[in-house]
Amino acid sequence: MVDAQTITDNERWAGVYKLLDRHSLIHPEFEPQEEIKEFIQTCKILVIGAGGLGCEILKNLALSGFCDIHVIDMDTIDVSNLNRQFLFRRADVGKPKAVTAAAFINKRVQGVTVTPHYCKIQDKDEDFYSEFALVICGLDSIEARRWMNATLVGMRDEDNPDSLKPLIDGGTEGFKGQARVILPGITSCYECSMDMLSKPTGFPLCTIANTPRLPEHCIEWAHILEWPNVHGERKMDTDDPKDIQWLYETALARARQYNIQGVTYSLTQGVVKNIIPAIAATNAIIAASCCNEALKIATTCAKNLNNYMMYSGNDSVYTYTFEHQRKDDCPVCSTSATKLDFKGDKTLEELMDYLKEKPDVQLKKPSFAVGGKPLYMQAPKQLEEAMRPNLQKPLSELFSSGDELTITDSTLPFSLQVIVTFI
Amino acid sequence: MDAKTQKYDRQLRLWGSGGQQALESAHILLINASAVGCEILKNLVLPGIGQFTVIDQRTVTQSDIGSNFFLDSDSLGKSRAERAAELLGELNEDVSGHWVAKDILFALTEDPSFLSQFSMVIATDITRQIAEKVSSLCWTNQYAIPFVWVKTVGLLGTARVILPEHVIVETHPDNVADIRIDTPFPELSNYAKSFDFNTQDTLEFGHIPYVAILLKYMEEWKQEHDGKIPGTYAEKNQLKANIRSGMRSGDDENFDEAINSVLRSCQPTVVPSAIKAIFSDPKCETLTPESSNFWILARAVRDFVNDHGKSGGLLPLSGTIPDMKAQTDSYVTLQSIYKTKAKQDVQEVSKLVDTVLESLGLAPGSIASEEIETFCKYSAFLKVIRYRSLEDEYTQPKTKQIASWLSEEDSVFAHYVLLRASDSFFDDHGRYPGESNDWEEDVDHLHANVATLLQSWGIDTDVISKDLTHEICRFGRGAIHNIASFMGGVASQEVIKLITHQYIPMDNTFIFDGARSVSAVFAV
Repeated sequence: MVDAQTITDNERWAGVYKLLDRHSLIHPEFEPQEEIKEFIQTCKILVIGAGGLGCEILKNLALSGFCDIHVIDMDTIDVSNLNRQFLFRRADVGKPKAVTAAAFINKRVQGVTVTPHYCKIQDKDEDFYSEFALVICGLDSIEARRWMNATLVGMRDEDNPDSLKPLIDGGTEGFKGQARVILPGITSCYECSMDMLSKPTGFPLCTIANTPRLPEHCIEWAHILEWPNVHGERKMDTDDPKDIQWLYETALARARQYNIQGVTYSLTQGVVKNIIPAIAATNAIIAASCCNEALKIATTCAKNLNNYMMYSGNDSVYTYTFEHQRKDDCPVCSTSATKLDFKGDKTLEELMDYLKEKPDVQLKKPSFAVGGKPLYMQAPKQLEEAMRPNLQKPLSELFSSGDELTITDSTLPFSLQVIVTFI
Repeated sequence: MDAKTQKYDRQLRLWGSGGQQALESAHILLINASAVGCEILKNLVLPGIGQFTVIDQRTVTQSDIGSNFFLDSDSLGKSRAERAAELLGELNEDVSGHWVAKDILFALTEDPSFLSQFSMVIATDITRQIAEKVSSLCWTNQYAIPFVWVKTVGLLGTARVILPEHVIVETHPDNVADIRIDTPFPELSNYAKSFDFNTQDTLEFGHIPYVAILLKYMEEWKQEHDGKIPGTYAEKNQLKANIRSGMRSGDDENFDEAINSVLRSCQPTVVPSAIKAIFSDPKCETLTPESSNFWILARAVRDFVNDHGKSGGLLPLSGTIPDMKAQTDSYVTLQSIYKTKAKQDVQEVSKLVDTVLESLGLAPGSIASEEIETFCKYSAFLKVIRYRSLEDEYTQPKTKQIASWLSEEDSVFAHYVLLRASDSFFDDHGRYPGESNDWEEDVDHLHANVATLLQSWGIDTDVISKDLTHEICRFGRGAIHNIASFMGGVASQEVIKLITHQYIPMDNTFIFDGARSVSAVFAV
């Protein structure tokens, strides 16, 4: 006898169930079985981010037959989200994204439970993350991605197959985006591909201070140099229109003084908040790619992406699918230390600046140690002050060529092992 | 900032207020509130298209609810058009949504001019016969209506763009900088000469803009080489070496910038061949009072280039220069030299535009000066796309091209053939392959359809394996939400590009294979 629930499910998920009930000659290793359908209904899936990608991902998972979905997001809804984050309305501005998005899906799609977590990803521990079958990231922050990646890679225990948590990551900018599948310890991980990121756009301080040429230079002057001069300890709130207005007017005055054109309110906001253009269409494409991979991984109904797809819609439509290779000395997914050639007469500070800029490292506030002995620590304050003189010392005075440095950074959940050879 | 600018901030950074205005004036028809259809509209309602209309005669089923986010369980049994319009309308209070619970063919019989009220038509889940009818009505409409036809079948998706012609001024190239080191205009040469490389102090020397450095060494080169710029790789390297020898400290950043620009600057500034093709297009040669602004402007710019034939015949200057190491004053001066020259070019073009307008019996000044300015700025990147009609695609297949596309390993184009064969299957059986539980019984029939199609093109029938045909039957035309959402995103990007006349839409068929996560575009 077939019960009513089965009839409804078979009808409701007719499209997906055709894929799951029918064998394939293209994917001969796939064996249709009822357990697969049960699995997607019962397994727990975690979505990181309930923004532009997150809203799409939640919708896609709910309509793919996944019924137990969790979402983490620490943000609240802003009016500028409404052009793409379609689970939110004007009346929701100010409410937590995770909670609002979950409530919307739960109401719209029967039988699906989305559980919201209004917090930072760092607030959750490994026990929490180990509950999930797979994780999908729809984030706009490199830092959060690095953290999530390192955490999931770190959780992998080769003797325990359940410890393998596939991570599917999506990102967009304007008409472009990318989706990738990370199988910790098997494929390349997020950290392996840090050098693919475009260099963060910073302007040299001396340009900002002495020789401004672009409107952006004037805005950064107001932002970095003039704000603390005028407001002292008060921290800038880039979400406060009053603060942006002050920056805009200050930048505009400087631009006038130097005959520089092009400072606008919108540009000011764009520069200080590092705004990336975003539209619903691109989020839809990338989120759908991620969820398509999630469904394939969870059901094995077709081979999953191995392991990277780039999309560009600026000029025609172009996708490039390729296998990104693991990095032999990846600080996260490999055990071997990174090798670095550096002049021994350069100072520790110069090494630090180099590592901050280096695209595949991108440190923010690194601390250094060699053989368990600290060379420079960012905190606590007394220790920082005591060790600060080391920054000006040449490296050859601090350690020997071929020594292995341990570099830690509060923004990263892992430490970097670097063997420095003096040249 | 007003509320609307705040809401649309992230997209205005892509297409600006001009693009936004175009979106807000658009009225889009969606034929069939399928999962992919509603996904397309979602991505257009959110950024604020003016109006949309959904036409669909069917009522909501369980499987609609399972795959379409804009049909909920309260919608069961109700009109798909009505419910989809309602739930999509909730996404944006600035958009007005309408619905018609009719079959599109019936609506067209009732009112043959039904489509004329729309600026764009999008169709999903329609048969080839309906597509041909709608396509031909859109194509021959007094103002040709762009038509986008989207299909999803299991893990596959395709999108076809159909309209006679699409022109773009704001193509958004990565770089519009136009510094013309090889052909400096007099003001620029004088500027370069104003720097005395010998007497400057270290700070000044380190801040000579690289454009001035390049110009100095390029001029010296030309004097020694009969006025010619470096042509061969060795010559370009020699120019680099010359510049390097002028460094004082060995790591002058501005000299490095100059060296890094040598290769690009030794590309002679010419009118790109794609732009020459636009100039010699019959639409540019033979204007009528009905000609669009694009062609009138193209003609004026062509005349501008021809008028300057003696001095090289170049396009109007873009007026944009890159940032470079420089003191504020020298940079701002350099910038204004380029901007002033660009303005002069725009003024000349404006006069020519008026001459053209007058010759057509149109009022001079009837094309806004901002439009002329934008056209001049992007004149090296203009784009004209002429699409093939659906009729031509079916009656005059590009058999040679098709054979070559199919000969590639794991060709994405195979899916085009399979979906065309599925249409033939529908003609034979009144249903699509794999829809029933006896799905595998359809494999042989469908594969015969594939063979017939390939034979009609004179292509070897074993280029498509039966395993692929089997896979189409496995899909059974099922709607998979992820694929609907992916194709909804792709199609809506194309629609936005078409409506705003910004960025470059695809020509003309996009195919996505969700099993392998690969795609390609073919001009069928």
